[in-house]
Amino acid sequence: MALVRLEGVGKTFRGKGGSWEAVRDFSLALEEGEFCCLLGTSGCGKTTVLNMLAGFEPVTAGRILLDGQPVAGPGADRGVVFQGHDSLYDWLNALDNIAFGLRLAGMGKRARREKAGHFLRLVGLAGQEGKHPAELSGGMKQRIQIARALAADPRMLLMDEPFGALDAMTRAALQGELSRIWAETRKTVLFITHDIEEAVALATRVGVMTRGPGGTLKAVVPVDLPFPRERTSDAFMAVFRQVHALIHAEIHPQ
Amino acid sequence: MRNRAETLAGFMLGFALLFLVWHLAAVYLVHSVLFPRPAPVFWRALDLIEDGLLQEQVVASLRRILQGFLLGSAAGIPLGLAIGSFRPVRVLLEPWTEFFRFIPAVAMITVAVIWFGIGEESKVFLIAYTTIFVIIISTAAGVGAVAKDKLRAAQCLGANRWQLFMLVALPATLPFILTGMRLAMANSFVTIVAAELVASNDGLGKMLWDARLFMQVEDIFVALVTLGLLGFATDRAFRLAIRAFAGRFNPTM
Repeated sequence: MALVRLEGVGKTFRGKGGSWEAVRDFSLALEEGEFCCLLGTSGCGKTTVLNMLAGFEPVTAGRILLDGQPVAGPGADRGVVFQGHDSLYDWLNALDNIAFGLRLAGMGKRARREKAGHFLRLVGLAGQEGKHPAELSGGMKQRIQIARALAADPRMLLMDEPFGALDAMTRAALQGELSRIWAETRKTVLFITHDIEEAVALATRVGVMTRGPGGTLKAVVPVDLPFPRERTSDAFMAVFRQVHALIHAEIHPQ
Repeated sequence: MRNRAETLAGFMLGFALLFLVWHLAAVYLVHSVLFPRPAPVFWRALDLIEDGLLQEQVVASLRRILQGFLLGSAAGIPLGLAIGSFRPVRVLLEPWTEFFRFIPAVAMITVAVIWFGIGEESKVFLIAYTTIFVIIISTAAGVGAVAKDKLRAAQCLGANRWQLFMLVALPATLPFILTGMRLAMANSFVTIVAAELVASNDGLGKMLWDARLFMQVEDIFVALVTLGLLGFATDRAFRLAIRAFAGRFNPTM
């Protein structure tokens, strides 16, 4: 059985200026342990899909099932990595940020610091535990977010363009790290991005969305390439071209 | 360390310049017994300190400020948190805060004296009054300014409502609360002087008033300079506290 099922999910926002459809009839099943990238142009509704799965926004059509149960609000079974670093706690150091979920769960100080230390090293931040977010670079902050989400041991990880604000070099380095971490932990991941290369480099499947408003799933492209992925290889380029063609049709409609 | 020494040296130089400008203005611009030079004011201040009179007034004013300020903060912080957190509370209490904050404490001196007399109670009431609305508004604004992702991240880590408030909203709001207290402290100085000018048996405001009655120009200036220095000192103390408690909350402070 699939871990997550999105069945005919839709989202219509209602405001003063009338209603506005962000997502229309979106269906997708996520298998345990897969790394699915959801790719789309800006405004296609991909972040709205993530927000509904995270439980931040209720669906206005269809339903979302996690382990067969409908999603009702956010919970510790779905870890979220946000695009910006607003979500980090400025008053806590790196280690205590990572341990935050364990603290909420009532774990003792020593035990949670020990466990957080493990995830701190997993994301390559050994030696930075005492620093506060203001003292860390953008890439390091995203590493903390990933470690914080993983430390709470969720059923799956939801990542909302986590590397979108980073420079190209840092982004490529973090993509490599994320692949390694995913291989080690085998967490189910839904990863939102608008970067084709990023999607093909990370995913086991790439879901391509139609352009917004009212975006829906257009096609799902499996990526059967071994890790670590060689971005200049012919096989990589072939998948890249396939996905590119799908996205290109959305950017430049006939 | 070097930075702190430089700051201190800069402040000393700034104050020295202030007194120099004052001196030059008194000597070359305004030739009047009504505008004394810094030196006689300084000597007069020393005399008053020697007699213990200046300290008496300073202690009287500061005690009132401190009592009213603590009272106003103790009431204002929880109210601000409640207004910022719960919409029904905001809708209910906003008319109160928006109504009273436009009635300045100075205007309330009249009723304060009628209700509480010219003793301590009226002053403490006025300081608490001037403090509470500034703190309510900045605290409520702070709660509103907590980044949505901070709360969402905590929810995804399993936080319940109480944990969201105690472990996320409250620490994230602390810099706003402290900044509100700093502004309220500045207001307290305005209010205490006005209140003591109108109705009091002691304090720096009373000293100003008496000095005017008896045309003791030096005493007026001693009181003014004392107010400036006290205000400067308390504001510095607040900024240091904000930096110590909240510096890492907000690197821009």
